[in-house]
Amino acid sequence: MIMYILILSLILVLGIFTLASKDLLHSVIALSAISMLSALLFTILRAPDVAITEAAVGAGVSTVIFVWAIRHTQRRDKEES
Amino acid sequence: MIIERILIFLLFLIGFSAIVAMRNIIKKIFGLNLMNAAVVLLFILEGSRIGSQAPILDDGIIHMVDPIPQALMLTAIVIGVCVSALSLALAVRLYQATGSLDIDVITKRLADEH
Amino acid sequence: MKALTHSKIILTILILGLAILPVILSDAPWPVQARDYLFGNAKADTGADNTVSAIYLGYRAMDTLGETLVLLVSITGTMSILINLGRHKMDEEAVKFSLEPEKLPRHSLRTNLIEVVASKLGPIVLLFGFYVMLYGHISPGGGFQGGVILASGIVFLALGTELKTKLTNTIVLSRIESLSFLFLMLASISGVFFESGFFGNPVKTVQNLSPNFIILLNIIIGLKVGTSIAVMCIAMMGGSHDH
Repeated sequence: MIMYILILSLILVLGIFTLASKDLLHSVIALSAISMLSALLFTILRAPDVAITEAAVGAGVSTVIFVWAIRHTQRRDKEES
Repeated sequence: MIIERILIFLLFLIGFSAIVAMRNIIKKIFGLNLMNAAVVLLFILEGSRIGSQAPILDDGIIHMVDPIPQALMLTAIVIGVCVSALSLALAVRLYQATGSLDIDVITKRLADEH
Repeated sequence: MKALTHSKIILTILILGLAILPVILSDAPWPVQARDYLFGNAKADTGADNTVSAIYLGYRAMDTLGETLVLLVSITGTMSILINLGRHKMDEEAVKFSLEPEKLPRHSLRTNLIEVVASKLGPIVLLFGFYVMLYGHISPGGGFQGGVILASGIVFLALGTELKTKLTNTIVLSRIESLSFLFLMLASISGVFFESGFFGNPVKTVQNLSPNFIILLNIIIGLKVGTSIAVMCIAMMGGSHDH
């Protein structure tokens, strides 16, 4: 039970960091870390199919498409007035 | 048990507030991904309380976890990544058409063109 | 003006929180009848040991059909936007995908390390993807998982030195994707002719052949998902359409 609360609060902190960071590449890496922690939590909760899918999709395909989108637009979150 | 639900609920609210309050389009799409992750975590967490072993029928399995939320969440994860891919392609197309990723600037520039 | 926008945002979030609060505070017990029924009858009804595979390929195969359709539509939409991104004038034929085609493959950060490691790891990941796909009915795995791992393996091959092989050719991959969707339709209709209904198991009565239908469906779904995601990723990395 302590393990669930620990992993979930780490996911929450990483989620806040994703939205507050000014460099979009750091946010993408935090999103990939959220996927990996979710896959770990699914393995502990006895759900192996969901863990394999989340690890392959979240840390693989999702990161590739986000990095592509950042490469073809801006990397920094500029605050225009 | 209540603490984990409150943490997942906070993650859902943070994702929703990113969609509503952030001005960068890519951060709105981050919020969509966070909401997806929160819902999947909630279902798998609730479904695992009634058992203690993985749902693969071997010899010696007596008390398995509920397999139905896991089958539904498989579909949900794949559809989530499809929605993210399409919306990121649209965001890149908007950037190419107007030159900025800020939603107020995009609205103003698109209104000026017409 | 800014304070009004901020108060509107906070009000929206509070209303949503109030609407979801009964889910958090409820203490109704999770029902166990479904788990008990599946524990006793999943192997007799579908022939699979993996209960999750028995659900989404046996009892609720229409959901899998709908998800395959969603994947098809979204990848088609993304590819059509990607093709038009490389077009500079409105009337020329678009053959390249990315905005800056000259940045690939001799970029300054693309060292020998990436090329050698990625092209050597690619076949191993492909083999692992096929293993996960084919053993989906007796161990964790299945069509979707194996398909996504297959897509990662093809992306590894495209990142390495093998940019011009048949396996990373977008035309060949998109033909495999269309053919697998056709085979999915044929396999789902075949149940009608053998008196098991749409998406039914045509060999349900023969004892030793019963899981073969699930193996066939796993292979078809895995090939479809894998090749469509691989085509999208290769197009995003800047491959061209006319090998």
